[in-house]
Amino acid sequence: MIKSYKLQRTIADVVIYVILGVLGIIWVSPLVWLLLHSFRAEGGVTVPYVFPKEYTVNDYYRLFTETDVFDYPKWFLNTFVVAVFSCIISTLSVLMVSYTFSRLRFKSRKMFINVGMILGMFPGFMTMIALYYLLKAMNLTQQLPALVICYSAGSGLGFAISKGFFDTIPRALDEAATIDGATRNQIFWKIILPISKPILVYTVLTSFIGPWCDFILVRIIMGDKRDNYTVAMGLQKMVDKEYKQNYFKQFLSGSVVVAVPITLLFLKMQNYYVEGVTAGGVKG
Amino acid sequence: MNKTKRFCAIALAAMMAVTAFAGCGGTPQPTTTTTTTGGDTTASAATGGDTTATTGDDTGDPLGGEGAAGPISLKVWGPDAAQAILKEQCAKFSENMKAYGDITIEVVPQGEADSAVQVLTDSAAAADVFGFACDNLDKLVTAGALLEVTGADKDYVTNINSEASVAAATKNGSVWAYPETGDNSYCLVYNKDYVSEEQAKTLEGVFEACKAANKKFVMDAGNGYYSCLFMFTSGIKIDGFEEDGETQKFSDYDEDKAVKTMLAFHKLFTENKDFFLNGEVTKVVDGFKSDTVAAGFDGSWNFSNAKSTLGDKAGFATLPTINVDGEDVPIVNMFGYKLLGVNAATLYPNTAIELAKYLSGEECQMQRAEQLNWGPSNKVVSESDTIKNDQALSAILAQSASSVPQVGIAATFWTPVGTFGNKVVDADNPIDEAACKEIIKTTIANIRDE
Repeated sequence: MIKSYKLQRTIADVVIYVILGVLGIIWVSPLVWLLLHSFRAEGGVTVPYVFPKEYTVNDYYRLFTETDVFDYPKWFLNTFVVAVFSCIISTLSVLMVSYTFSRLRFKSRKMFINVGMILGMFPGFMTMIALYYLLKAMNLTQQLPALVICYSAGSGLGFAISKGFFDTIPRALDEAATIDGATRNQIFWKIILPISKPILVYTVLTSFIGPWCDFILVRIIMGDKRDNYTVAMGLQKMVDKEYKQNYFKQFLSGSVVVAVPITLLFLKMQNYYVEGVTAGGVKG
Repeated sequence: MNKTKRFCAIALAAMMAVTAFAGCGGTPQPTTTTTTTGGDTTASAATGGDTTATTGDDTGDPLGGEGAAGPISLKVWGPDAAQAILKEQCAKFSENMKAYGDITIEVVPQGEADSAVQVLTDSAAAADVFGFACDNLDKLVTAGALLEVTGADKDYVTNINSEASVAAATKNGSVWAYPETGDNSYCLVYNKDYVSEEQAKTLEGVFEACKAANKKFVMDAGNGYYSCLFMFTSGIKIDGFEEDGETQKFSDYDEDKAVKTMLAFHKLFTENKDFFLNGEVTKVVDGFKSDTVAAGFDGSWNFSNAKSTLGDKAGFATLPTINVDGEDVPIVNMFGYKLLGVNAATLYPNTAIELAKYLSGEECQMQRAEQLNWGPSNKVVSESDTIKNDQALSAILAQSASSVPQVGIAATFWTPVGTFGNKVVDADNPIDEAACKEIIKTTIANIRDE
């Protein structure tokens, strides 16, 4: 039996930190490996040790210059454009739907909420083939706008979380604004949105990452149109058995570069996120 | 202020609505193409078979009059590596056929492994002529995605190509595709500094050489594509499907012989476990680079990498023999072929068939053998000096003679066979006769999903 409270606490801390440390290493190690080996100069596909002996940026250079087989810059741009547009459209649509369901009272509100919930339960890829033929009927297959449409069209269904957030904002704010002569539309843009930064950031991040990482839809829609591939699809091509031997290190570099925009976005957004949390709430 | 806002909102909404519908009518040309394909497919597929056979001889127009109706445009799928040469060959074809019609051919990169999936997703958007790996033949034929090779074309294909490659393009007694290559498999690749030509003939010799040089031998024993050689060499061979079309059928085999062969493999691999590396094929060339590997079973698609790494020291040989009960038994593996298929939904069946015939013909196969090092399926090209002087290509072509063609393979085949392979080479868990019998039994049961 350990008597000293201090000693007891120290031991508990040590145990907890060791466990956390081990878990942390396990989680981070694949990323560290990816980063280290994307700069590896020697060896082929893999090497039997963890730390490369020589470092180079050659594979990054090749990734952006040798574009005759794998046009990575083009794919990167495609992905970026699709993700940005999908992100803007779906963020707006999610927030507007949530606001409507949270604040407005109309006859079929309950029904729409339920229908939305039920539709949201079906996994998206169930409808992929049907989606393809619908797009084909509209002559939109193998085009980037098709991706934007698919990613953002149904996004309003993901209203649940932001509606929950809006529900916590006191209606007193709306009422005060109404007395001052604001319309519903003005209340949304000028009152609700500014104090909803955390949920805004959350919505932006999720709606950006979705299209950024998606693979299945691109694969089905794009077919043989290489110029319109996105990064996820292109990277997968690099590890096909014919290319793996020569392109694996470029694949690693490509995987690192893919993470850059998301990381930047998150870092940038994180400031607002913290600010949003501390600055939110009703005063007076 | 308010008015302008409202106006803007309406204008934006209108713009969105217009763009949404723009897709429907914006490009009329493709729309007509897609709609006509639906109605025309059956008719063109039906004519496709006999027109080429007859018109080719009767009127002298190999395109069956398709050129007379207007310009013909075709799409061809081929792998990235072959883009340049494929474009040249297609241009040559258009040039040859100039007298019969104005043919424009678009060459689009699409790997052979993936093309079948793309064709099955949407055959109207797929290429008219496309290369695919022969293990996809079943799927494509079942889905009706391929135009059958009939009449004079069938004789032509059967006569010029090796028997095995035609067998790989055959299902239910009909030929469905045009063999393009005869090298989609693997054989022994070794470093001549460590392994002599004599040693490369037997697996015992290969291990002996590895032991002497303290280098490794690489094989991906956990991958069904490679480990199937343990089963096939043991005499347990597959024989297409049962009547249901999805359960793997096995031909009869001698259990005692199978067990003996399996134990011979097991003994050899476990005795030499320090010189054996069970890993991906990429480890072969990687190992050559770091000078840790003396030999390995590597695929033909990696031959050029092995050559560029080892230079003159790169050796290629057919899979070695294994000594079972004092007898050297040749190792039997799985052998794939790349085939050219004609899309059943093509608008120009006769032209597409002619193009497939040309691209799979002697001239084009020779060019590919010379420029891309692709092993031919064509009999004349196989006998040519280009092939005979190329150690890698002659090794892989020689291998095809004693291999099981990669056709009629159930989706459930690969994983159990991979597990089987891992058990055969597992040095930590020795197996005896009874265990062998049990492993064979469970593997077959798993493949057949029983």
